[in-house]
Amino acid sequence: MDNTVIPMSEGAKCSCGASVVGIFPCAGASNVGQLSNAVAVELHKQGVGNMMCTVGIGGKINGLLKSAEGCGSIIVIDGCPLNCAQATMEEAGIPIGKHILLTDMDIKKNKDLDLDPAQVKEVLSKVTELL
Amino acid sequence: MNIMKIEILGSGCAKCNKTKKFVEQAVEQTGVDAEIVKVEDMDGILAYGVLITPAVVVDGDVKIVGRVPKVDEVIEWITQ
Repeated sequence: MDNTVIPMSEGAKCSCGASVVGIFPCAGASNVGQLSNAVAVELHKQGVGNMMCTVGIGGKINGLLKSAEGCGSIIVIDGCPLNCAQATMEEAGIPIGKHILLTDMDIKKNKDLDLDPAQVKEVLSKVTELL
Repeated sequence: MNIMKIEILGSGCAKCNKTKKFVEQAVEQTGVDAEIVKVEDMDGILAYGVLITPAVVVDGDVKIVGRVPKVDEVIEWITQ
């Protein structure tokens, strides 16, 4: 995992060229929630898609909703079977192209919020295989 | 009466320029008293929660993100 800073100038993706892939992690308050966020950050850095604000969808923030609607496809990453991110997108009527559940990868949910970089790398690899 | 403010959010790419052109056409066709502003500053774009460009904002309300609107769509937004 590198520590590349995403420059502000890349904060909004121009839709000229390939269609935009939106990545929405649950970013919940558990190890798997934080893993979903870390994996989304890495996928964004790798150019797989654009990480977006899942909580803004729940909050019905117009610009964020419209940004999600403007995506060519949507990847949702949930940490646990509560599937909050999936439910949030469904509630907003935003179609999900690919849904990934991290506890399906033999990871037990707990309240440890300190991520192990090796585990992030391993999960990132598994998620990438699923995309 | 307040003048309507229409903001075109984007970096100045082809789609953004086309969006601006269509917005100008819509304003011209309807005769609406509107100020058209091009926002290329990333802070200004992100302030609306917009993560894909182009985008059109009418009086602070984000109308469309990530694609060029049709002139008819713009007419609908500005004549509501």
